Amino acid sequence: HDAQMDYYGTRLATCSSDRSVKIFDVRNGGQILIADLRGHEGPVWQVAWAHPMYGNILASCSYDRKVIIWKEENGTWEKTYEYTGHDSSVNSVCWAPHDYGLILACGSSDGAISLLSYTGDGQWEVKKISNAHTIGCNAVSWAPAVVPGSLIEQPSGQKPNYIKRFVSGGCDNLVKIWKEEDGQWKEEQKLEAHSDWVRDVAWAPSIGLPTSTIASCSQDGRVFIWTCDDASGNSWSPKLLHKFSDVVWHVSWSITANILAVSGGDNKVTLWKESVDGLWACISDVNKGQGGVSAVTEGQQNEQ
Amino acid sequence: MTGGASRAAVFRLPAATVVRAVLRKASGAGRASSAQSSPVRPSPVQSSQRAWKMKLKEIERTAVQAWSPANHHPIYLATGTSAQQLDASFSTNATLEIFEVDFRDPSLDMKQKGTLTASNRFHKLVWGNFGNGSPEPSGVIIGGGDNGVLTMYSAHHILTSKSEPVIGQTEKHSGPVRALDFNPFQSNLLASGANDSEIFIWDLNNFSVPMTPGTKSQPHEDISVVSWNRQVQHILSSAHPSGKAVVWDLRKNEPIIKVSDHSNRMHCSGMAWHPEVATQLVLSSEDDRLPVIQIWDLRFATSPLSQLEKHTRGVLSLSWCQADPELLLSSAKDNRILCWNPSVGEVVYELPIRSQWCFDVQWCPRNPSVFSAATFDGWINIYSVMGGNLEAQQKTQADKISSSFNSLLDPFGTGQILPPLQVPEQVAQTTSIPPLKKPPKWIRRPVGVSFAFGGKLISFGLAKAGQQMQQAHPHQVFISQVTTETEFLLRSRELQMALQSGNLLDYCQGKIQTAKLPFDENLWNFLKVNLEQDSRTKLLRLLGYSKEELQKKIASCLSNGIPDKQPLPEADETSAAQADQLLINSSDDGAAVSTSSTFFDSLIPQNMSTLEIPVTEDTDGLISQALLLGNFEGAVELCMRAERFADAIILAIAGGENLLKETQKRYFAKRQTKLSLLLSSIVQQNWQDIVRTCDLQSWKEALAILLTYSKHEDYTQLCDMLGARLESEGDAALCSDACLCYISSGNVERLVECWVKNHETSSPLALQVQDLIEKVMVLSRSVEMLQGTAGPAPGPVLAEQITQYASLLASQGCLAAAMSYLPSSSKELPMEQLRDRLFHAQGENVGDQQPPPFPYTRVNVGVIKHTSPAAKGGCAPERTAHKTGPRHPEKPNYQSPFAPSAPPQSSVPSLFTPQPVPAMSGTPHHVASPQAATGPQTGVYSRGPPYPQYNLGLAPATIAGPAVSQSQPFGPVGLGPVGAAPFPSQPSLPGQSMPVTSPSVQPPKPALFNPASVPSSQPPAACPLPMGSQPPMGFTLPFNSPMNIGYPQGGPGAPSTQPLPAASIPPPPTAQESWTDPSAVRGGLQKKKLPEKFTSPAPITAPVMSLPAEPQGINPQLSRLQESGQSPPGAPKEGSLQYHQLPVERVKKKEVPPEHQPLKITYEGLVQRCSAVATDPKTRRKLEDALQRLDCLYEKLREQTLSPTILMGLHEIAHCIEARNYQQGLLVHTQVVSSSSFSEVSGFMPILKVLMTIAGKLNV
Repeated sequence: HDAQMDYYGTRLATCSSDRSVKIFDVRNGGQILIADLRGHEGPVWQVAWAHPMYGNILASCSYDRKVIIWKEENGTWEKTYEYTGHDSSVNSVCWAPHDYGLILACGSSDGAISLLSYTGDGQWEVKKISNAHTIGCNAVSWAPAVVPGSLIEQPSGQKPNYIKRFVSGGCDNLVKIWKEEDGQWKEEQKLEAHSDWVRDVAWAPSIGLPTSTIASCSQDGRVFIWTCDDASGNSWSPKLLHKFSDVVWHVSWSITANILAVSGGDNKVTLWKESVDGLWACISDVNKGQGGVSAVTEGQQNEQ
Repeated sequence: MTGGASRAAVFRLPAATVVRAVLRKASGAGRASSAQSSPVRPSPVQSSQRAWKMKLKEIERTAVQAWSPANHHPIYLATGTSAQQLDASFSTNATLEIFEVDFRDPSLDMKQKGTLTASNRFHKLVWGNFGNGSPEPSGVIIGGGDNGVLTMYSAHHILTSKSEPVIGQTEKHSGPVRALDFNPFQSNLLASGANDSEIFIWDLNNFSVPMTPGTKSQPHEDISVVSWNRQVQHILSSAHPSGKAVVWDLRKNEPIIKVSDHSNRMHCSGMAWHPEVATQLVLSSEDDRLPVIQIWDLRFATSPLSQLEKHTRGVLSLSWCQADPELLLSSAKDNRILCWNPSVGEVVYELPIRSQWCFDVQWCPRNPSVFSAATFDGWINIYSVMGGNLEAQQKTQADKISSSFNSLLDPFGTGQILPPLQVPEQVAQTTSIPPLKKPPKWIRRPVGVSFAFGGKLISFGLAKAGQQMQQAHPHQVFISQVTTETEFLLRSRELQMALQSGNLLDYCQGKIQTAKLPFDENLWNFLKVNLEQDSRTKLLRLLGYSKEELQKKIASCLSNGIPDKQPLPEADETSAAQADQLLINSSDDGAAVSTSSTFFDSLIPQNMSTLEIPVTEDTDGLISQALLLGNFEGAVELCMRAERFADAIILAIAGGENLLKETQKRYFAKRQTKLSLLLSSIVQQNWQDIVRTCDLQSWKEALAILLTYSKHEDYTQLCDMLGARLESEGDAALCSDACLCYISSGNVERLVECWVKNHETSSPLALQVQDLIEKVMVLSRSVEMLQGTAGPAPGPVLAEQITQYASLLASQGCLAAAMSYLPSSSKELPMEQLRDRLFHAQGENVGDQQPPPFPYTRVNVGVIKHTSPAAKGGCAPERTAHKTGPRHPEKPNYQSPFAPSAPPQSSVPSLFTPQPVPAMSGTPHHVASPQAATGPQTGVYSRGPPYPQYNLGLAPATIAGPAVSQSQPFGPVGLGPVGAAPFPSQPSLPGQSMPVTSPSVQPPKPALFNPASVPSSQPPAACPLPMGSQPPMGFTLPFNSPMNIGYPQGGPGAPSTQPLPAASIPPPPTAQESWTDPSAVRGGLQKKKLPEKFTSPAPITAPVMSLPAEPQGINPQLSRLQESGQSPPGAPKEGSLQYHQLPVERVKKKEVPPEHQPLKITYEGLVQRCSAVATDPKTRRKLEDALQRLDCLYEKLREQTLSPTILMGLHEIAHCIEARNYQQGLLVHTQVVSSSSFSEVSGFMPILKVLMTIAGKLNV
């Protein structure tokens, strides 16, 4: 159900309904299974790699209501933390920018979003936003770590005054932006445009511009690009990227934030790019298996 | 939709049940009234705030319900007052209402969006898409009422309450219409069923005349359900209370199959077609004796496929989830609502026991995890199947029920009077219901895509229909490379090739030809010229000044007989430019200093025709007299006063230097013309004034002057000043010109700044950056050629641009290329981060490289094995290369900020090559112990005394072969006897030429020496000058140049000066100095640690003693660093490795046992010999790799894990190497490999082979 490369693009983690999380070494076009992580009791929906400064850490979330954080130590992967605070399927996990420390946002079908922060010594602190999305939260994505008003590196040693934000999308058709204030998470914005479940949200990486950009996609087949130009983050305006004929399941930004990959229920992946005049155009269909560098075979899908 | 026949069922219940049913109704009525009496309902709403709940919405209605169609947004629920149920008011009014089901609103309330009083109460409601093409796209609601009334409402009209909502009505049926269904394919087709086996098919376009599916089935009985097949549009089925289901084919107009259970106890209440399998349907039985759901497949219509038997009492209603066929809802008289996976017969979800029968369950067509349930107690609730709590609501209802009965019954009597006795008491107890056991289909992501570093795109999805592998591998993950910027890539490749081949002139030429803007062309011209020899002259030509032409002009001017008596005024009158040219011309003589005087000198003869000395009292006479007396001052004074400037100056020349200067000054003070300023500046060599004051429009002229006159060391500064002025004072056009100035000065950083500031073009970002980087690269290359060194670490702006460029390249998948642009010397954090990322992203392709330092502070996560303060969450991104926290063995985190050079850099050698500071520190070891094969530790310094400073100086510069060649001429001069000694074996000295590339105008300065620069450029003659005149300086400066030529502010400048003292200080301290200095630069950790290690003032031979406790082991980083293209080619091989403990690793390693030391010495010596000669990047990489891999061998030697056979073999190989008999060595190698276990030797044997092969080829 998900496949994510690590920070360096050398390892690929996949997860599926067979309850496993698999890690492949995909350097140089190869594919070597290096780990098969067992621990979930339901389909695993999503995986997320932490920044390498925290070591080799992978988070996974599952229908079994659990979030597991795995860690590689001397070549072996082990569970380092298991979070069971959700009452329903956990659909999405996303690590905060490394600058904030090790923080994981988890969105669940119980409508809540949990934020797990590593506090050292193997301890994790949990903050929970209840009722973030009625019927369920499908996706979470962090805003890049940008110090408002300043793109210049802060003097080292001094902790920059980041404003932590993330975006979530849910079954209430809403895209919501959350902001941390005084250690509490508050709903900052409620973005309405979709007419059905928001399946995925993706906050674009910062490329040094003051504009924030979010992509959201929905069961209704629509993909919206939300942009916000002001630093306070209050005025978001949507632009319809495209209306697809089928559910759009995933959106993903390229590292350079200029290309959006869209994965739809028609099994097609399309790439979109904003032209100079601000229009989004499809630049290519990705033909799976053709010109692809390699294909990793996931294990048989075993349902229950 | 299914399940609307319950009313009939109620009245068919056995007597006892009927009583209860009545009670239900009563209770519902009671509750209704209670709700009315207390309009502010209590807890549910509040409770919604605090707990996650599975109940999402509720309304208090005794009603039948219909969801808005799946494609409708927002979601509505229509309710129609239920027929045959009365509330306490005994009102027979009928209402049709539409509620919006808005899940954005967390409260339990639903907003009523439309309401209407209906003529009939309803048995069944359906909501279809009919008319959705119209401007009122809310579809139609059909209500089935008593007496065969069928009413069609426009949902839009109800919602807007503007026009008459009833758009059609018929009374064709007899009796109550309980069965209704819209055809899923044709929204205008509606099937209805009523009493007496009546089934009609309606075309809503013509609502008056129905069709029939065929002759009525016999015997006549009621129709409880009609349902269209979900796959085949002309198939319809009807179900009858008798338990019989009839399937009709509308094309044939007849029933095609009848399904009925043999037991005859089947009492059909609900029916539903399988959403995906056309031949399957389910029937539910309302009979308490057979409370089952039967799954039928019409292909085996004799008996049901399976029976779902969990309900304990009759099933009232069914709903099959259209989004997931493995979810089937049922409600029954046992008060339970179950969700089945019909394919396996398992209950995957159960709503907690409720106190009331639910007569109708319906999945929400649009939001698949939600369903609605209508109960006899007068509530319609909407639940989620994703689990949740029911606490609050149960309590509420229990309270309400008890209050509505006014304690007539036990408050909890509701539970007790319910038939199924096993019902547990749930009241006031938190019931947490897990979500569906089976993950619903709609939550499963079938496809996905994500980007990864390096422009990789990971996608997965359903296997394509045509794929053969489908069964075996239903899911595949694809990794694709996304490249979007083809033009960018093309150009980047061109640049890369040009840089690698070094053929930049052609590259520039090409650029000039293809340049679209004149400015671009200009820029490239400048860049190109910078690359050429004699660049200043050519730059002048570019600015429009050609010496030859000028010569001609002057010649013609002279031959035309124009009187030349007053050349200056004449020039003044014509044009400033002319004067410029004259002046420029004069500079041909070379020495700028003397220019003016020679110029004037040349004029003298023409002025003097006959000698006549007047001695009158007029000025002439006075002058003559003064002259006669040798009073030049006076004479000049007189001349000046008489405004006879030429005379004055000529006299002043004779009067001596001081007088001349004075006179010049006065002259210029007096003659204030346009030209005079120029003249004065030139004569007084006051270039700064020119730069500061010149009219910006004549910047070209100013630049020309700089080109002509200024000294090299001032030149760049002046150009920059000029550029800065253009930039700050000028308009956009001048800003572009500023770029030209920066190009002339070779100031990459400023060029970039200026460029970035002024080039907001509309072209795509990638191409913009490419534009810039092309220029930057060419320029920095030319600067390197000029100075013979790698440029300094890029400043922040340039770094940002380069980083951006590299990340663009990376995003297109060109990782190696991207890496090659990132100088490891840069301290810019983003650049370091990108380097780190690129390095690892390249995987094993770069196995022979040193990983760059990890640019983040590591944080250890997990249950603590090693506690550390660093292992705290939320750490700021400090840039501490040396962290104190726990180390991660799996990742190289040696934080020497001086990352080793990457191979791309060796292929593009002079591009921002890393600052060779590490090499400096390493060098002494290399060099110091050339012959100390026996005792590495002592060896390090044993050779030190005679020439440590020599080596120190040389090391950083010896990047390429040519550098070595200089050592020969230099050595003897600077260091006398020792010089030649350390380099006995340098076979290939490509050119003995001195690569001094100073521009012709300048007297060569030490700083301009650049050992690594192109050998051909300079006459060797230049070198002795600095050498001889200032031996120590002469040495150190040139060789330190890589670090700080022209950029003295560069951080690493410090060590460069350090070797100086070394020259005069006795050896041991020298060694120490050279050790400590570079490391001091390296910052924090080393600074602290070094002293421990190297403070020992012991004699040279003593380091051993001060070190034994220290890790003798190799610091791989450093050693490789040294080897990686920077070690002096002639440097001796062994010894060096022992001392690598720049204290990066704390792990103490054992020493290689003494008996095996020779192995190490020999092997490493071989690597060095090879590196000295190897020129092509590939080989060099291999050699770098070799050192790294050899570590593996030493490790094994240290641990003494190798078998005697292997050890013997290794020694033998070493002997062969010493004897230069690589052939034999390879033979031995083969023997060893074949006779030992692969795992034992695989780490190092292959590299030995490679080494020997290379050595054989290079013939070292």
